[in-house]
Amino acid sequence: MFERFTREARQVVVMAQAQARWLHAEQVEPVHLLLALTADPGRGGQALRATGADLGSVEAALARSNGALDADALAAIGIDLDQVRAAAESAFGPGALDRGGREPSGHLPFADGSKRALEESLRHVLRSKLRRRARVIDSGAVLAGLLAVGDPVVRRVLQQLGTDADRLRGQLGDASAA
Amino acid sequence: MASPTDVTTAAAADDPDTGLRAIRALRDLADRLEVLQVSSARARGWSWQQIADALGVSRQAVHKKHATSRRDR
Repeated sequence: MFERFTREARQVVVMAQAQARWLHAEQVEPVHLLLALTADPGRGGQALRATGADLGSVEAALARSNGALDADALAAIGIDLDQVRAAAESAFGPGALDRGGREPSGHLPFADGSKRALEESLRHVLRSKLRRRARVIDSGAVLAGLLAVGDPVVRRVLQQLGTDADRLRGQLGDASAA
Repeated sequence: MASPTDVTTAAAADDPDTGLRAIRALRDLADRLEVLQVSSARARGWSWQQIADALGVSRQAVHKKHATSRRDR
């Protein structure tokens, strides 16, 4: 299916792999696609950055909500995750706790949500009114596909940044109209 | 961040949702700290047996869980 992807969109997929590996994830999750998209020079990245979602802020929001480590739940039993994180980082370096410490392996599989996001991006361009030959999957289509999946981590991160899927879809619409 | 009063309230709240979520978060946290500590111990030359004894588990268990790279085998 990647033959329809533009070079930018392929780059997003490759960068999502790199992000997942860097964060020591076991799979490429939808949120890794989001991270990759923030650095994309194309339509998808532009839409994200226009709503304030750049790489740094998404990374920070992800570290705060942090997929697995549930700071609120720990606070409820008297554990200050920030303190634990600070202690772990002073002993083992920046990001030690959030990287989880697993050995990164070569190729990471795509999580179901990420596969669906890529399928949705294809569906998105097939639905468009563009002429058949113009129906390529650019980074904007990847973003649209990602939003269509409604992954809870992605939703939470966007929400923390004060944006949401609807606003981003609006941005994408404006960008393609321009 | 929860104040000490919040903590006492949550701990005594008898709410399974809060309690179970906290246990899951604790497990996640413990797992991550274990990974960091075990690799640090290996880097300092601890044997798998020493690490297992310190963690109170069998040597096989700790080796199976943590020996991922070739230099660890």
